[in-house]
Amino acid sequence: MLQFNKDGNNLFKKRWLLAFSFFCFINASAFAQELFSFTEPASNMSAKSMGLRMNVNYMKGFQRDKNSLYISPEIMIGISRKIMIHGETFFSNQQQQFQFKGASFYAKYRLFSIDDVHSHFRMAAFGRVASNNSPMHSTAIVLNGSTAGVESGLVATKLLNKVAMSSSFSFVHSFSSPSLNSPNEIHNHLLLPNQKNAVNYTLSIGKLMLPKHYVNYNQVNVNGMLELLGQTNLGLEESYIDIAPSVQFIFKSKMRIDLGYSTPLVSDLTRVNSTGFLLRFEFNLFNIFN
Amino acid sequence: MKIIASFLFVFLVSLSFGQIKKVNLQASGLTCSMCSNAINKALKTIDYIAAVDANIEHSTFEITFKPNAVVNFDELKKKVEGAGFFVAKMTFTLMVDQLDLYNDKHSDLNGTMFHFLNVGNHKITGENTFQILDKGYVTAKEFKKNSKYTTMPCYQTGLMGVCCKNKEKSVGTRIYHVTI
Repeated sequence: MLQFNKDGNNLFKKRWLLAFSFFCFINASAFAQELFSFTEPASNMSAKSMGLRMNVNYMKGFQRDKNSLYISPEIMIGISRKIMIHGETFFSNQQQQFQFKGASFYAKYRLFSIDDVHSHFRMAAFGRVASNNSPMHSTAIVLNGSTAGVESGLVATKLLNKVAMSSSFSFVHSFSSPSLNSPNEIHNHLLLPNQKNAVNYTLSIGKLMLPKHYVNYNQVNVNGMLELLGQTNLGLEESYIDIAPSVQFIFKSKMRIDLGYSTPLVSDLTRVNSTGFLLRFEFNLFNIFN
Repeated sequence: MKIIASFLFVFLVSLSFGQIKKVNLQASGLTCSMCSNAINKALKTIDYIAAVDANIEHSTFEITFKPNAVVNFDELKKKVEGAGFFVAKMTFTLMVDQLDLYNDKHSDLNGTMFHFLNVGNHKITGENTFQILDKGYVTAKEFKKNSKYTTMPCYQTGLMGVCCKNKEKSVGTRIYHVTI
């Protein structure tokens, strides 16, 4: 069983401080696209509209020949101007054969909004519940395809002209524990109740690179983004923080392709896959529920 | 007393009030073309709109209407808000043969109630553009700033109060506060 120690406590405090700083930084910064590749912004999609996504992750495995492909079809619905929901299913070849892994439901409620021409500051509350039918192989609680659990938190987004900045902070709870055939021997144990809880924190910055001037809706938009995605386990005193650069293309002001790469800056929590590529297709259908 | 007060506040002007030619609105809270398109598509779901000409860079939308359309400004605003944004400015252009403007008074124009603010008392003719000053039609800062032009409670609510009802319109009727 993992034990607390003095160094671990100090490290844990430092990481809490880092996590808290991420969330506070957004409130001290005046910073377009508020569409991020690895995180959700505080803004919602248009009411009575639907978005369809196909998320493809190609992740490096522990062993060279064990790279994994994850495919996650996703549907997003704008219920009203304040509420939107996502439904997502997960498939992967992580266990040799390509198979269904689980599903998640996500909802977001826009709490607060200060808008001005070409700028806004918004805050939203969000929650996610995820199922997973395969053994948990990591101590990281990854709800999009690897762990069954729940998550709840806040996200704040600041948009100013061509730059958007977003930060989120959430609590996540795992329903399961790592299995005995965990790839990392040190974590061959059942998690204690408090080790099933973690905090997630993210910081995202995006900038509209092209076009320099808008003329019509058919121009291709190119956004460049840099995101930091972190998790600290409340019981294990361990964390990961990934850095995730991405580029996003928007076609005809309704289709989106994201190309991203994520790799750990800090990686104490074990994960089956931590480095890899993201390819996402998104198509938006406006006002289909009118 | 109430009747006298109502009579004093409400001026029914004689005029030839033409159809609204166009509405120009500026939305707030967006910069990207996909966001602009969300507003553009939402506006186009209104059946009496003939065309929407969007300027993505300035977040403005020029809306023209089908013949004999009865324009509901609140419906336009609701569409912008449904797309996830807000109205920062909305103006409408109409042709009038003659219209007597009375500052800080109510006028019934073809069944829609208007409250003119900061206009002075004068006659207007021809094509004129009016700006709506109600809550949600200007920025919060501007709304507060414009409150100096009237002391009537309808400015805060957008609805006719006990003070300003008349024989034709009851308390609670929508009233738009506009300037020229």
